[in-house]
Amino acid sequence: MSNLLFFAPLFRRQAGRLGLALLLAIATLAFGALLLGVSGWFLTAAFLTTAAAGFNLFGPSSLVRGLSLARILSRYAERLVGHDATLRLLAEIRAWLFASLFPRIPFAGAGAPRRGELVSRLTADVEALDTAFLTAVIPLAGAWALGGATAALLGWLLPAAAPAYGAALLLSAGLLPAALALRSRREGGVVVEASGVLRSAVLDGIEGHAELIAFSATGRAEAALAGAARRLAAARRRLARHAAIAAAGAQLCGGLALLSVLWFGLRALQAGEIGGPLLAGLLLATLGSFEAHAALLRNVARLGSATAAAGRLRAIGTAPPAVAEPARPIPLPPGAELRLDGVTYGHDPARPVLRGLDLVVPAGTRIAILGPSGSGKSTLLALLLRLADPQRGVVRLAGTDLRAVPLAELHARIALLSQDAPVFLDTLRQNLLIGRPDATDADLWQALEEARLADFARSLPQGLETPLGEAGRSLSAGQARRLCLARALLSRAAILVLDEPTSGLDPETEHAFLADLSRAARGRSIVIATHAMLPPGAVDRRYRLVEGVLEPLD
Amino acid sequence: MPETETSAAALKPATDRAIGRWLTGLRRQAGAALPLAVLAPLLGGGLLVLQAWLLATVLDHAIAGGAAAEALLPGLLSIGALIAARALLSGIGEAAGARAAERIKLALRRRLFADLLARRPDWTAARSSGALAAALVEQVEALDGFFSRFLPAMVQAALLPLAFAVVILPVDWVAGLLFLLTAPLVPLFMALVGWGAEAASRRQAQAFARLSGYFADRLRGLVTLRLFGRAEAETAAVRDAAEALRQRSLAVLRIAFLSSAVLELFAALGVAGIALYVGLSYLGLIHLPGTALTLQTGLFCLLMAPEVYQPLRLLAAHYHDRANARAGAAEIEAVLGGLPVASRPATVAAPPTRPVAPPPRSAIAVAIEDLVLDTPDGGRRLLDHAGLRLAAGGSLAILGASGIGKSSLLEALAGLRAAEGRILLGGVPLEALDEAKLRARVAILGQRPRIFQGSIADNLRLARPGASMAELRLAAGLADVLGFADALPQGLDTPVGDGGLGLSGGEAQRVALARIFLRNPDILLLDEPTAHLDAVTEARVLDGILRFSAGRTLIVATHSTAVAARLERVLRLAGGDLLPAPHPVRRFAPGSAA
Repeated sequence: MSNLLFFAPLFRRQAGRLGLALLLAIATLAFGALLLGVSGWFLTAAFLTTAAAGFNLFGPSSLVRGLSLARILSRYAERLVGHDATLRLLAEIRAWLFASLFPRIPFAGAGAPRRGELVSRLTADVEALDTAFLTAVIPLAGAWALGGATAALLGWLLPAAAPAYGAALLLSAGLLPAALALRSRREGGVVVEASGVLRSAVLDGIEGHAELIAFSATGRAEAALAGAARRLAAARRRLARHAAIAAAGAQLCGGLALLSVLWFGLRALQAGEIGGPLLAGLLLATLGSFEAHAALLRNVARLGSATAAAGRLRAIGTAPPAVAEPARPIPLPPGAELRLDGVTYGHDPARPVLRGLDLVVPAGTRIAILGPSGSGKSTLLALLLRLADPQRGVVRLAGTDLRAVPLAELHARIALLSQDAPVFLDTLRQNLLIGRPDATDADLWQALEEARLADFARSLPQGLETPLGEAGRSLSAGQARRLCLARALLSRAAILVLDEPTSGLDPETEHAFLADLSRAARGRSIVIATHAMLPPGAVDRRYRLVEGVLEPLD
Repeated sequence: MPETETSAAALKPATDRAIGRWLTGLRRQAGAALPLAVLAPLLGGGLLVLQAWLLATVLDHAIAGGAAAEALLPGLLSIGALIAARALLSGIGEAAGARAAERIKLALRRRLFADLLARRPDWTAARSSGALAAALVEQVEALDGFFSRFLPAMVQAALLPLAFAVVILPVDWVAGLLFLLTAPLVPLFMALVGWGAEAASRRQAQAFARLSGYFADRLRGLVTLRLFGRAEAETAAVRDAAEALRQRSLAVLRIAFLSSAVLELFAALGVAGIALYVGLSYLGLIHLPGTALTLQTGLFCLLMAPEVYQPLRLLAAHYHDRANARAGAAEIEAVLGGLPVASRPATVAAPPTRPVAPPPRSAIAVAIEDLVLDTPDGGRRLLDHAGLRLAAGGSLAILGASGIGKSSLLEALAGLRAAEGRILLGGVPLEALDEAKLRARVAILGQRPRIFQGSIADNLRLARPGASMAELRLAAGLADVLGFADALPQGLDTPVGDGGLGLSGGEAQRVALARIFLRNPDILLLDEPTAHLDAVTEARVLDGILRFSAGRTLIVATHSTAVAARLERVLRLAGGDLLPAPHPVRRFAPGSAA
């Protein structure tokens, strides 16, 4: 629960709306129970009346009609207000998450989500969190409010039945939900874990497809997948079984309350303490007050996963930043010389990827780092942008240790085209402007020319204003790559760091881009990691990254 | 890379109706669980009628008949028993629904995975592994509610209101008629619920999905945004987008919630209408022939009134499960290019394992004639009527620039890629070879070998499931795996792959090489086997490869002249053909055993 409370400040901003939604939810439930109660009372009273003329028909019948209408209206208002509050909450939580994520990316080390899992996990977790209030907390609070009112009413009119009713309420809206939330939270963790294993099993099959065929081992991969899927299914089945048992328990509690009111009511009737109409009314109201409990428990199971989601989000939002802003920042002096001295780094410090690596990139020079994928090229480039700090050694820009420089100044001086650079859901223009927000049209077209994308952009009916589909789906892989390249070229940074800039390009385009690299650089330093063949003159120096150090190739 | 989406998009997308049929077709996978999930609530509905009748009777006897509480005890106990039975039934039904959904999802996942593996590896390689994994993990999960909740709710909504009306008819024909009149309207109600609730949930889901999409999109590019100094601007943009979404969706929801209000109206009017009708009858203000309402029948009708509409409300509450399932199915269809019929995959034949002791080997000659090879999208020709002959037991290096087609040629030789022309292994055309025999005799090391979940030893045993520890260590030593594995606390039992220890590129490649040694093939096809290694390790690994390949046929695609220098023949792949290349002068290689 403390994990949910961590987010209380965000919820508190919507306290008014959430409170109103709660009130309306209680009203809806109460109107429903009252409608049943009044109907039962009215019907029985009418039956017992011998003289129709003496019966005040107007009161009850208009009450019945009024309650029906009120119930519909309050239900409608409840849903609207509740969704309004939830949608506002959604903005708050997402903005909070973004603000907390920026200084903490990229995640590394133990506990970091598996590759490819971060986005789907965060999205699902945030959704679980912002609907928790609407689906679980409000109905739960509503059940308590209505149950409490009914118990009080019983305490006044039929005191003997009140304790049993109270016990049933305590069980059904207190202990059962608490036990279920606890269980579902634990099983929910197993489900998340099992889903991760299942995803890895699927990826084993997809990325290891050729090997599985070559080793005639597809059967083993299928068995591994079946095992992982079975484990997930079993965990989810257990989760569902807990919820089903709890819901059945709630039904039993409702039955217990009904029977106690009936039994003590019958005795009170016999003793002449209450009349028949009141008994019928109380009985039906009791039925109505438990109506929502079974559905409620189904949502409480979700509250468990929302708590787990809140825990994961909290862990991410409060993790120490990957790199710290300097306590006493030194303004970055002019210059663009990069120098790495004895740099050692590994995501797992015990197994460094870079081992005492040295490198100097004088201002305005272009260097290439070659080496097969997995050799640590991207890791090296990440250190240049201070996405991580070396475990030993120093990275210097313009003679200054990167760790002493304000990050914003550093990132204004060095721009990165990463291997997984994304095309955003936005127009072509907006995608480019991320590189330089104040760029003119001429700048944009020049960058597109340099990235060999201008002809394509001109062929689009809407030109720069073309919206790019989800994850840039309307672009081919090569076009998407060139767009990200144009974005990087557009940047005002004095140093461009390009990680496999030509992946996804056909050899002719690749060759043309690389041959033209010195012109596109316009005097800027370029550090390029690639395993493409470099045309003569493309770079000033070439290195091969192997076993954690750079071997000069020229 | 080519436009990889084209082949999937070219397939005709399944219509809404086809997706619906496919979904309902899946229900057969669930076995007895789904009928149980459907029947249990129906049975519970029957018991509910009994319970309402008994309750009305008890009240009637007590209020109208003045019976003593103790005399009514049996009735009370029966009611208690009915409540317990109904709770049990609903628990069983709910659990059975979940069981059914899990069975269907399990069978579907296995089927989709088996279908995926049955394709040629170049199909998989051309697709985003993230999207394929999401189809099997998330999109299949989206089908859950359709089977566990929606289908049972639909059957209840179709049968229970009508059944209740029929039961009430002989009790009081006016009340019965009131329900029965609304009963033929049930399909109409259902359409109303379906139309309204689906529209509401679809719009809500669309709005949420759009924001989720935007959110996920920005999350994916978080590092890029941060490095370009966009952190604050994007945080504000996310908030604005959510706010804009709120305003738009509220306008829609205001209308969409009306449909559920209509349902509530029916439910409330049902109760109020019955109460008023019965009450007025008692007072003699309404008198219709053939009705003789007692307190018992009147209360019974009142108790049943909300229950007649309850199944419809339940259906409305679960309607979004249907929309989710359809969206999931459409996504699976789009990613995999079709919807399979989920059936338990036929038990896979045990992979052929070779005896632990090395079998008698016969080296195999490799020949290609007139081989034509294109890139997977068909955009570029890699090999144009190329030819090659390599004697049994010979060794060959193929040089050539990146992207020229070396890897594709090796894959074609292993039968992992479509090619035109003839490939002969030991004089037998590749396509005429029995798959099991081909796989047992030809081994290929790709450039980016996959390290699977499990220990290093598990990864090695992929090549030969029954291998002993001694055999593992022999192969691992030959490929220089022991060089790093023995330094790990758990040695060969160290977990690797997703969620395990991250191996460096060079380490992964050596594990993959050891795997191939363990396979004991007659033909080795190695793609850049030493690309990740420094000169000293390269020489050591090369020694291992050469020692192992004695008496076997070896083809290595490489950039390294050091590698080429130690093989018998060298060819260069250029201009779509394999051309003789000068044999590089053999240099002294440090650590060389030669």
